[in-house]
Amino acid sequence: MFHRSSSSTRRRAIVTLSATAALVATLAACSGGSTAGTGASSGDSGTVNWWGWTPDDGEANALIAAFNQEYPQIKVVYKKLQDASYNAALRPALASSSGPDVYDVAAGGATGDVATFGGSAVDLSVAMQKAHGASWKDDIYAAGLTDFTQDGKLKAAPVGQIASGFLWINQQIFDRYGVKPPTTLKEWVNACATFRANGLGCLAEGIGQPGFDIDTLHSIADSIQPGDFAKAADGTIPWTSPTIVKAFGLFKQLATDGILDEGAVGIQQYPDVNNAFLSGKVPMVQMGTWYQQYATKKALGAALEAAGVPSGTGLVTIVPIPFPDVAGNSNTPNLFGDPDYALAVSSRSKVVDAATTFALWVSSNKTGQQIIADHLTDYPAMTSVAVDWSSLDLVDPASQVPALQNLAKRVAQVDQSRQAKLPAQMIQALVTADQSVIGGQQTPEEAASSVQAAAVAKG
Amino acid sequence: MDHEVLAGPGVRAHGAAAPRRGSRGTGQKRARRGRPRVSGVPWILPALVVSAGVVYYCIGYTGWISTLRWDGISPDRTWVGLGNYARLFQDPVFWKSMEHTGVFFVVTTTAQILLGMAFAALLHSRLRLAVLYKVAVFVPVVLAPATMAPVFRQIYAPDGQFNKILDAVGLHDLTMAWLAKPATALAVVMSIQVWQSVGVAFILYFAAMGQIETEVLEAARMDGAGNLRVLRSIIWPGVRGTTLALITLSAIASLKTFDVPYLVTSGGPSYGTEFLGTFIYRMSIPQSEVGYGAAISVMLLILALGTAIVFNAGGRDKEIRRV
Repeated sequence: MFHRSSSSTRRRAIVTLSATAALVATLAACSGGSTAGTGASSGDSGTVNWWGWTPDDGEANALIAAFNQEYPQIKVVYKKLQDASYNAALRPALASSSGPDVYDVAAGGATGDVATFGGSAVDLSVAMQKAHGASWKDDIYAAGLTDFTQDGKLKAAPVGQIASGFLWINQQIFDRYGVKPPTTLKEWVNACATFRANGLGCLAEGIGQPGFDIDTLHSIADSIQPGDFAKAADGTIPWTSPTIVKAFGLFKQLATDGILDEGAVGIQQYPDVNNAFLSGKVPMVQMGTWYQQYATKKALGAALEAAGVPSGTGLVTIVPIPFPDVAGNSNTPNLFGDPDYALAVSSRSKVVDAATTFALWVSSNKTGQQIIADHLTDYPAMTSVAVDWSSLDLVDPASQVPALQNLAKRVAQVDQSRQAKLPAQMIQALVTADQSVIGGQQTPEEAASSVQAAAVAKG
Repeated sequence: MDHEVLAGPGVRAHGAAAPRRGSRGTGQKRARRGRPRVSGVPWILPALVVSAGVVYYCIGYTGWISTLRWDGISPDRTWVGLGNYARLFQDPVFWKSMEHTGVFFVVTTTAQILLGMAFAALLHSRLRLAVLYKVAVFVPVVLAPATMAPVFRQIYAPDGQFNKILDAVGLHDLTMAWLAKPATALAVVMSIQVWQSVGVAFILYFAAMGQIETEVLEAARMDGAGNLRVLRSIIWPGVRGTTLALITLSAIASLKTFDVPYLVTSGGPSYGTEFLGTFIYRMSIPQSEVGYGAAISVMLLILALGTAIVFNAGGRDKEIRRV
C-alpha cells in the first residue's frame, strides 16, 4: 500500500514537473528571449548576419568580398528578403536573440522604417567618431544623418541616396518610331498615340503597389506649383489645397488621355511593370535613380534572367528624361529624394563590434562606398565618392553616360524629400486615393479629402 | 423483427459491439479500480501543454495586445482598453472586409456545392477516362496559391488570355482590365477560390454519393424518377451531412481568406478585395499597428467560433427533426 502510494506520488510529481517545465519552455518560446547582446566579440572577428531588402545579392557579395580583403576574420552572411515581407520577418527576429546583427532600415515608408525598427539598434555615432574623428559628419550626405538620428543617437549608418521625379524611356522604341521625349502634356499624348498605333502601351505603372504612384502625383503637383506636395507632406498646407486636388485630376487625365496604360491600378510595379519594361515591351516607366543599375549589361542581364526572359533577348537602352510639364505652367518638375537604406546594428547582437565594423565600412569607407557608387543602385552617402564611369560596361555608353551624368547633377540639387516624411498610413491613404480617382470611385476633391482625413487621424 | 434490423447499419455496429464490451466489462472495471487514475495523463500531457501553451496562451496574448497602441517592437506600449475595438467598428475598411467576406462566402460556397455535386454525379455515371477527370478536378487543390497567383494575374491582365478568349468568341465589348476595378477584382478572386477548392467538394460528394444504397436508386428509377428527381429527392438528402460540413468549412475559410487576395490583388484596388486576413496583415505589418491588428484578429476569432457554433447547432437541429 505504502509502495503504491509513493509511486503514485512520485509519478504525479514527475507529471507536474514536466508540465511546468514544458509550459515554461512554451511561454518562453512565445514571448521571445530577453537576453541582450553582450558585444563580447572583437571588432575584427566573428560571424555577422546581415538582413536586408536591398541590395541585390550581386552587389552584397561584392561588398562582402571587398570587406573581407580588409577583415578576413569577419564572416558576413547576407540574407535578402522581399521588401513586402521584410517587416514581418524582422519584427519577431529583433525581439528574439537569434535575429540579424546588421539590418537594413529606411528613413520612412512601409518597409523597415527607422521610426519603428530604430529602437532595436545601437547608437553608431560614437563608433563613427572613433573611426573617422570629430569631423566624421563632414563627408556624409547630411539628410542621411538627419533622417537616421533619433534623440541624438545615430540609429543606422546611411549607405546611399536615391531620387525620383523623372521617367525612364526605352531609347530603342523611341528611335524606332521617331518619337522625341515629351516635354508637355500634348507632346506626351501624341507620343503615346504613336506607340499605341503600333501596338504598344505607353506609360506603364503599377498602381496596385504603393509608392510609385505617389512619385507620379508628386511630379504632377510640382508641375502645377513646385513644392506644394512637400508642404502637404510635412503638414504646412492641407492635402485639400488646390494644387493637390488639381494633381489628382491631372493624374486621372493621364489615364483618360491614353498616356497611362489601361489597368494600371490592377498591376504591380514589381514584378509586372519592371519585367515588361526591361524586356522591351514598354516605352516608358516612372522609376527612380535606383533603376540606373539596369544601364549596365551585367545588372540588366541578371534582371532579365531572374524575370525568365529567354536568353538572347536584346538588351534595352534605358535613358532618364525629365517628367513632362503636364500642367502647362512652364515648371519642369524637379527631383525629390531620400536617403536609401541604412545599416543598423542590433542591440541584441552577440557580435556588436564586428557588426559595427561592417556597417561603418559599407557606409563610410571609401572602398565600400565606391562599390556602392559603381553598382549605380544608390548614389553614395559619402559626398567625396563618385561613380567611375570608365569601369562600367553600359548597354549604350554613347547615349547613357551623358544622360546619367546629367541625372547625377540634378540629384545633387534635390531639395525635397521623396517619401521619408510620409508614414505608412499616409502612403496607404495616397495610393488608395490614386486608385479611387483613376478607377472613377472618387472625384479629385473626394480623394484629397480622404487623404487629409488620414493625415488628421495620424496626427 | 429485432432491433438491429429496424435500426439500420449504423446502429447494427453498436449492437454488435455491445456484447463484446459486456463480456469484458467486469474484469476491466476491477483492473481500473486497481490502477491510479493518473496513468493516462502523461500520454496526453505534451499535446495538452502545447495546445494550452501555444494556442490558448497566444490567443490570450493577442487579446492583451489588442488593448494596446503598439507597433509590435517598441518598448513604448500605450494601454487603450477597448479603444481599438471602438475604432474597428467605425472603420469603413472593416465593414468593407465583412461585406466582401459575406459575398465571397455565398458565391464560393454555392459554386462549390453546385460544381462539386455536378462533377461527383457525372463521375458516378459510366464515363470514359473518369480517372483523368478526377485528377483534373482535384489537381488545383494541391497547387500552392503562390505558384498560381502570377498565372492568374497574367490570365486576367488587360492583354491576358481571358480577354483574348472573349475577343475570339466575339465578346470584345466585355474585355476589360479585370483586376483594376473593385467589383471585377472581387469576382476574379472568387473565381480563383472556386477553381482551387471545388476539388475538395467533389471528393467529399463523390464519397458521400458512394454511400447511398444502389437499391434505393434502382427502386426510384423503377418508379419512373428521372435524373433531376433522383438528384433532388434521393441524392441531395443523402449528402446533407456533407453539404453542411462544406458550408461550415467554407464559412470559416471565407473568414480566414488571405492568400489569394493578397497574392493576386493585394487587397485592392481601393480596398475592393480586402478581407479580414488581408486587413490584419495590412495593419499589423506594413502599417505597424500591431495592437489594432490584434483587435481585428480577436474579432476574426469570435466570428469564426460563432459561425462554427451556429452551423453545428443548425445541423444538429435538422438531424433531430429528421429523426
